[in-house]
Amino acid sequence: MRGFRPFFLKELREIARTWRIWVLPSIVVVFALTGPVLAKVMPEILRSMSSEQLGGAVISLPEPTWKDAYAQWVKNLTQIVTFALVIMLGGTVASEVRSGTAIMVLTKPVSRPAFVLAKAAANAVLVTATTLLGAAATWAVTLAVFGEAPLRPIVQPTAAWLAWALFLVAVMTLASVLVQSPSGAAGVGIGVYAAISIASLSRWAVEHTPAGLIGAPGALLAGDRPPLSWPLAATALIAAAALAGAAVLFARKEL
Amino acid sequence: MTTDAAVELAGVTKRFGDVVALDRVDLRVPSGVIFGFLGPNGAGKTTTIRLLTGLARPTSGEVRVLGREVTSAGFEVSSRVGYLPDVPAFYEWMTGEEYLAFVASLFGLESSVAKKRAGVLLEAAGLAGVRTRIGGYSRGMKQRLGIAQALMNAPALLVLDEPTSALDPIGRKEVLDMIEALAGKATVFFSTHILSDAERVCDEVAILDRGRVVANASVDEIRSRAGRKVALEVAGDVERVERAVAAAAWCRGVTRVGARIEAAVSDPGSAQRDVPAIVAAAGAGLVRFETVEPTLEDVFVELVERAS
Repeated sequence: MRGFRPFFLKELREIARTWRIWVLPSIVVVFALTGPVLAKVMPEILRSMSSEQLGGAVISLPEPTWKDAYAQWVKNLTQIVTFALVIMLGGTVASEVRSGTAIMVLTKPVSRPAFVLAKAAANAVLVTATTLLGAAATWAVTLAVFGEAPLRPIVQPTAAWLAWALFLVAVMTLASVLVQSPSGAAGVGIGVYAAISIASLSRWAVEHTPAGLIGAPGALLAGDRPPLSWPLAATALIAAAALAGAAVLFARKEL
Repeated sequence: MTTDAAVELAGVTKRFGDVVALDRVDLRVPSGVIFGFLGPNGAGKTTTIRLLTGLARPTSGEVRVLGREVTSAGFEVSSRVGYLPDVPAFYEWMTGEEYLAFVASLFGLESSVAKKRAGVLLEAAGLAGVRTRIGGYSRGMKQRLGIAQALMNAPALLVLDEPTSALDPIGRKEVLDMIEALAGKATVFFSTHILSDAERVCDEVAILDRGRVVANASVDEIRSRAGRKVALEVAGDVERVERAVAAAAWCRGVTRVGARIEAAVSDPGSAQRDVPAIVAAAGAGLVRFETVEPTLEDVFVELVERAS
């Protein structure tokens, strides 16, 4: 693993000084800040629409609460943010190989597994920090808008999604080693996501595989207790295998 | 294989599917020389360099760098080699100074050593005080930074892939000056298809054509393999003189541009004795007569044409 530390530090600096600091954090923070506000005003908007544009038909909606704000946060994480993550991570390894920067590094005393794993680790740091920042922003704005924002109902779904997101980091690292183009790797990632989503229709898959993490944030927010032990263990195992596979395959690859 | 060589290839073949990029290549680069690796585009130069740097593996044969087999040497080789690819790619958000500091950290250099060395190399590369990010560098600046980063570890072997091919004349001169300054301090292995560059700075060269080494010797020795030539400039019936020269026993071929006739000769001494008489017999006047020193380009063209 020679070269891991300097290359990992380079990755962190690259995140801080390039477009990467803006894409994922911007999306997450914008959703975090606007979600609670939208949850608050959406019933008002719908009520005004119903009286003016629906010919006097009245839509009866309950008063919004902090749960609606948290539901917005969870929906955005599990849908838009997940896709943004997959697309962003498509170039994890492939873009450096294509641009030629990888050979400048790998002809120095840097092991190829260190190169791959440092990238995965830096992406994991970015995803974790962004998710925590977004959750904190959602909690703070929810408290300001609704006057109430319990911690546990936002921490549990966010933690479940974070486990899923870190799994995606590992899978996308492997995809980015296997496929030479960033868009191709993103396509593989979307394919994996689609396959796991389909698998989540199976009760056994939900109880024993990463498919259980797809619906977990929503279920936890609803106050359910979805089975998470097996899905988390299987996710960790598959993520570790994906990272190991990425490291081994990249070490064998000719550049 | 001997051990005093910086680079040794023995029976190296590299295939890409059905395509044979390198065909049983044998090559030896003595330590301490500036070595030119010549060949037309597509000859296999970059493939050879990818094998030397461990970016690719030979299909068969053995590649030794600094006495170690590359594929099994681990970091023992890479920590003593500097490498510049044909189109160096950098992290464009860094400055040149930051990039050299990053390279130093990959080699595990102490920060005081790294800072001092980076300063010297940036100065030598004409990049001292440049605060622009690398993304704003010209091609020449990137090439010079590329050489500087390749020297950060004070390498025993510097491998440069076409370091001058995309540069303007001034940029080429600067890069060649940098290479020349390394004479005696490190072994320099550089590929090029610009023969005048090799002729200017190299001690030894190898010529690669379609995956095969067709010559590997010192520049003088390679030059001596070329047939000698004489050139004469005449006033009068040039065509008659040309025909007479072509008919001489020592003449191996004639070319003419205007009043200048150039003849490849098997025996320069006989040509020197006979030419004035031939010109006089043709009723022409001899304006100029000289023996032409063969250039590396002459040998290169001759060897590559012979091989094809």
